[in-house]
Amino acid sequence: MRARSRVALCAAVAILAGLTAMAAPPVELIVWHSYRGGEAAAFEKVVANYNAAKVASGVKIITLPVPYDALADKITAAVPRGKGPDIFIFAQDRLGGWVEAGKTIEPIDFYVDKATRDRFLPSTVEAMTYRGTLYALPFNYKVITMVYNKKLLTKVPKTTGELVTIAKSLTDASTGRFGVAYWYSNFYYHAILMNAFGGGAFDAAGKPILDCEGNAKSLDLLLKWVDKDKFLPAEPSTALVTALFNDGKAAIVFSGPWFLGEIAKGIDYGLAPLPTVDEAGGKPMRPWMTVEGVYIAAGSKNKDVAYDFVKYVTDVEAAKIMAVEGRQTPANKLVYNDPQVGNDPILKVFRQQVETAVPMPNLAEMSMMWTPASSAMAAIVQKSATVKAALDQAQKEVVESVKLLRKQQ
Amino acid sequence: MSQKPSHRRRFAAGLVAALVVGVGLSHWTLVRARVQENRARAERVALVSLNALVDIVERAGGVGDSVRRAVAVFARGSSALTTIRVVAFDGLSLEASTASADGGDKAAPRRLAREEKPLYDQGQRLRAAVETNHQEGGARKEEIEIAAMPGGGLALAAPVTKEGAVVGLVAVETTPVPSPPRTSWLAPLAAVLIPALAFLVLAVPIAERRWVLAVVAATLLLGTMVAYGRYAFATMAGDRRITERTVAGEVTAEAARASSVVSELSLGDPRTLHPGSWDADLFRRPLELIAPDGTVHEAKLAESLAGAAGRTRQVFGAFAVLALALLAFVGFGSATRLGATLRKHRQAYTYTFPALFGMLLLVFLPFLYGVVLSFSDMSLYTSQAPMGDLFSKLWVGLKNFTDILGDFHVATSTAGGLVWNYQNIYWTLGITVIWTVANVAYGVGMGLFLALILNTKGLLGRPYYRVLFILPWAMPNYITALIWKGMFHQQFGVFNQIIQMCGGTPVSWFEKTSTSLFACIATNAWLSVPFMMVISLGALQSISADLYEAARVDGATRWQQFRSITLPSLKPALVPAIILSVIWTFNMFNIIYLVSAGEPGHSTEILITQAYKFAFEQYRYGYAAAYSMVIFAILLAYGVWQNKVTKATEGI
Amino acid sequence: MSVGSRTGDFPHLPLHVILLIYVVVTLYPLLWVFTIGFSGQQGLMIVDIPANATFLDRLRAIMPWPAHFSFSNFTSVFTEQPFARWLLNSVIVATATTILGVFLACTAAYAFSRFRFPGRRAGLMSFLVSQMFPGTLMLIPLYIIIVQWLGLGSNFIGLILIYSITGIPFCVWMLKGYFDTIPRELEESALMDGASTATIFYRIVLPLAKPAVAVTALFSFMTAWNEFIQAATFMDKVNMYTAPVGLRFFVGGFSQQWGYFAAGAIVTAIPIVALFLFLQKYLVSGLTAGAVKG
Repeated sequence: MRARSRVALCAAVAILAGLTAMAAPPVELIVWHSYRGGEAAAFEKVVANYNAAKVASGVKIITLPVPYDALADKITAAVPRGKGPDIFIFAQDRLGGWVEAGKTIEPIDFYVDKATRDRFLPSTVEAMTYRGTLYALPFNYKVITMVYNKKLLTKVPKTTGELVTIAKSLTDASTGRFGVAYWYSNFYYHAILMNAFGGGAFDAAGKPILDCEGNAKSLDLLLKWVDKDKFLPAEPSTALVTALFNDGKAAIVFSGPWFLGEIAKGIDYGLAPLPTVDEAGGKPMRPWMTVEGVYIAAGSKNKDVAYDFVKYVTDVEAAKIMAVEGRQTPANKLVYNDPQVGNDPILKVFRQQVETAVPMPNLAEMSMMWTPASSAMAAIVQKSATVKAALDQAQKEVVESVKLLRKQQ
Repeated sequence: MSQKPSHRRRFAAGLVAALVVGVGLSHWTLVRARVQENRARAERVALVSLNALVDIVERAGGVGDSVRRAVAVFARGSSALTTIRVVAFDGLSLEASTASADGGDKAAPRRLAREEKPLYDQGQRLRAAVETNHQEGGARKEEIEIAAMPGGGLALAAPVTKEGAVVGLVAVETTPVPSPPRTSWLAPLAAVLIPALAFLVLAVPIAERRWVLAVVAATLLLGTMVAYGRYAFATMAGDRRITERTVAGEVTAEAARASSVVSELSLGDPRTLHPGSWDADLFRRPLELIAPDGTVHEAKLAESLAGAAGRTRQVFGAFAVLALALLAFVGFGSATRLGATLRKHRQAYTYTFPALFGMLLLVFLPFLYGVVLSFSDMSLYTSQAPMGDLFSKLWVGLKNFTDILGDFHVATSTAGGLVWNYQNIYWTLGITVIWTVANVAYGVGMGLFLALILNTKGLLGRPYYRVLFILPWAMPNYITALIWKGMFHQQFGVFNQIIQMCGGTPVSWFEKTSTSLFACIATNAWLSVPFMMVISLGALQSISADLYEAARVDGATRWQQFRSITLPSLKPALVPAIILSVIWTFNMFNIIYLVSAGEPGHSTEILITQAYKFAFEQYRYGYAAAYSMVIFAILLAYGVWQNKVTKATEGI
Repeated sequence: MSVGSRTGDFPHLPLHVILLIYVVVTLYPLLWVFTIGFSGQQGLMIVDIPANATFLDRLRAIMPWPAHFSFSNFTSVFTEQPFARWLLNSVIVATATTILGVFLACTAAYAFSRFRFPGRRAGLMSFLVSQMFPGTLMLIPLYIIIVQWLGLGSNFIGLILIYSITGIPFCVWMLKGYFDTIPRELEESALMDGASTATIFYRIVLPLAKPAVAVTALFSFMTAWNEFIQAATFMDKVNMYTAPVGLRFFVGGFSQQWGYFAAGAIVTAIPIVALFLFLQKYLVSGLTAGAVKG
């Protein structure tokens, strides 16, 4: 009996839907993302809301989670061959490469009006822009900030001067306690200092600047911390940092939202914006920002409909769900006016931190930066090369790789 | 065989087959070349019109009524351009249009409609191309786009520049490209029939003298190929001359028209127009084949034709070689023998066919793609180029290989001693060899050792040991490799704890090449024991117990039994396993990538991790493919050598 | 049989000592996987110890044992995602791969071992050579072949084909090696009795080659069981993923949930162990000797 009544109900709904949308044939749009757990659940909720609102028009969004390690390859294999999704969510690091290769992502400048553009944090829009064209609406961002153990830290440092004093007082090598722990030998994490000194990876014209003065100064400061002030652990890695913090052996950690999920229950932690750097004339530490964007696949047959969804998921209503339930930090700045988001002790800090953040370059050439830069960092931290020699070597390698890629006709 | 095969008949058949293939391919090339030339001609003519138009639009300021007027006047006299549209980025505006659909309430100026998005995107693409080329100081991205329309016409688009910035685009459509000239079938038909008949006639006095028949057939074939090649190239050159004349005519005509438009709308001095630069490539670089006065630069044309002749000769030469091979194959009876062999061993071929076919499709075909790729300089930027480009635009011959193998900069000697260049392939090869030998030696040694112990009759708990020993194989190595990496941590790793327990000082494993490589090898060796143990366990079963019995009766010691019975009996199974495991270890990407990641300073990279780096960090696919081919060649050389030494394939 | 031990009457005690030492070497890293899996936490940390610890401190620290036992990682793996379904998919794909792979390899290897035909050496060599191809840029061509040409995108058959064919070269070489050691007299006498080739193969050769078939089956199964990138690339539906794909959700990009990963890895290792237990009897049954006699 129940089954029959359900069939009847379905039929009624179908007829109703058919009446209201006579002309609109059912459209199914596929979305690929790499979410899991809470993020995935929140995203599914957003999609369900959208689908419910669109029942009449026959538009239906279907999602497919793909492991992060496979998503980019899967997109690169499928989309240019006319397969794959209509929409996908990915960070900006592949953007330049996909644009240069072609047939992968659809430019959306044409769709985006001023009101839509203005609802995002400007730097997140910048992250989605390649050579003057916008390719996706920013969805959320991730930045490194300061995470501290409330039990160990009584006063939150505002400057590197305070940081060093506090960190030194909390460090005790004999018991394996450290004032600060972060993956300082990693290029991505080191960017917080590098950008503070005005250094970076590429200049505005896309030329590598690894050997610039700002980068050298930032490394000098790091070496001082490691060698002289000695409040950092040796051979850092994410695993080590997590373990130290969870055992209450590291008072301060510089890390991003991904770290929060790894903090053990029972650790009372707080977040605060990264301190300013006295050595850089009081400029703030500037973390790199990773922005996830919602892209429309170049091969989609329903780009207009797809854009409607892209606009919806990046709007306030969806952003709130993603922030509150998915624990994301939305790129939509309007959502922070909502007290539930704006007063959230964690989201609030990330929102503050983003003001000093720099979008990570979205050039394809960025991928050539990591290996030489990490080698240089390792060599410098292990004292097997001077700062200058290591940076010059890395710069040489990157310049050579870039030259070999950009073959001229 | 009941009937003695006739050499004459075979060579006749071979010659006909070779002629059909050789002449057929040549003819197909000719027809295609003519189609291409026809298309190129239409494109150049259209480009001249477009460039003239862009010049005028830019003079008219790119936006506003003056542009609309200029376009209208320009379109009046043009027969080749069916529609002209001018788009300004600012305000997504259609500034001018001569399209019939854009009349009435859709007339320009107006905002672009949603379905006109591709037009706007095209403009943005061209803007980005211009800016990129400018920034990089070269010509990498095409600044003019040409596409074929469904109706046979061409759609072209060019950027509109104002004060150095691209502010819009001009998009035009042309009348359908005239159909390419018909190439007569008589010439190729004659090129097949005449030599074939000549052979039949000549073969009568030669009778069954095999080598004379071969020489005659080959001479006829080559003669035909040369003659047909000359005919084909003459036709192509003729087409090319027509192109130059047509384009020259177009330049003159457009120059006159543009000049009249400029004077009529008073858009400046008509003498500042540069018609000579309108005949340009897609990077807007003038071809300089046509002089500004509309005459053809004969010297430049001759130079260009000579280049084309060289390329044509190569292609036709390849066809001739192919045809000759076919002639020899059929003429000397290999074809007949092949057919007979296939029939005779039908059963064997049926048994092996499914496996071979699958391998062909899923292993050898992708490999072939890699081979082709290795001769190109395909990169991320050109990764969506059509397959054909690999053989033309992107083809670089052996350059990748000479770049990789010809770099002998292995080390620099400085005041502080030798400084190794870890990026050099010979260093990486050295590391790879150490890595492979150490892993396989340990894997085989330990695997066999454990298998022998586990094969002891009556040993308690053998099934439990066996299961425990295969566990490393059962667990995904993604996590176990990282566990091993953690065990080598300087401060918190197990090994350093043990060293400290014994009173030593902790080692920074990943700071030195030797210790870093050791950490990787330890991990992989641990992972490779189970496989070798299972192989050995299986292999030990094929040894008959009677052999040991007999040996013992003869008073052989345990070691003698092992040497003269166990090892030789294990060989058929163990040697292939060792060869395969060398190959697999050589190409084992995961462990190095996860454990040392090449640290310190790329010194512990192996060849395969380097190849990945070139492909996925540097995006140089052609180079990475060539690097992979070098790896393949090294392994192949190893396989051949191993085969010689161990006679693994003895008796095959 | 009165033969007794094959390697003579070696004293068993030293053998046990050697084996036990190696058991420790084998298990130590794995115990850390278990420790992480049962810890209820997500870190991938090995030893937690102060810098100037005592001998006992260190000894305690290097013992792989979780501070608190918890099954929460295991329950989360199964409740947060359709992991059971993915395991089932893996079983289906791996089993089909094993059957197809062993079948293809057996027929080919038998032909290579028993028939003398032109191209035999070349064919055998080509199998070996195929293993030398570095897989650097294979994903895109494979995608074109499987999805565009064969239309097998998001279809288990595509994966099964890839996996079984990737495993063929090894299986053929292994099996051919074993087939070569089986005396031909058996087959020749059967042939005299009027048996067909197929009968001889299934009734005589295959039973004798059980250890080899067991090894190749295990290998085929493993090939399919652990592969990640192709499964993730070719499957376009959540309920068609295999277990390795599911596992990688835990540790890609910024998320590093090693506790879940370890728990999932332990679960996915169980079928391998079960398969090995099942195949063990073929690996140690001492066939040839008995069969020749019987």
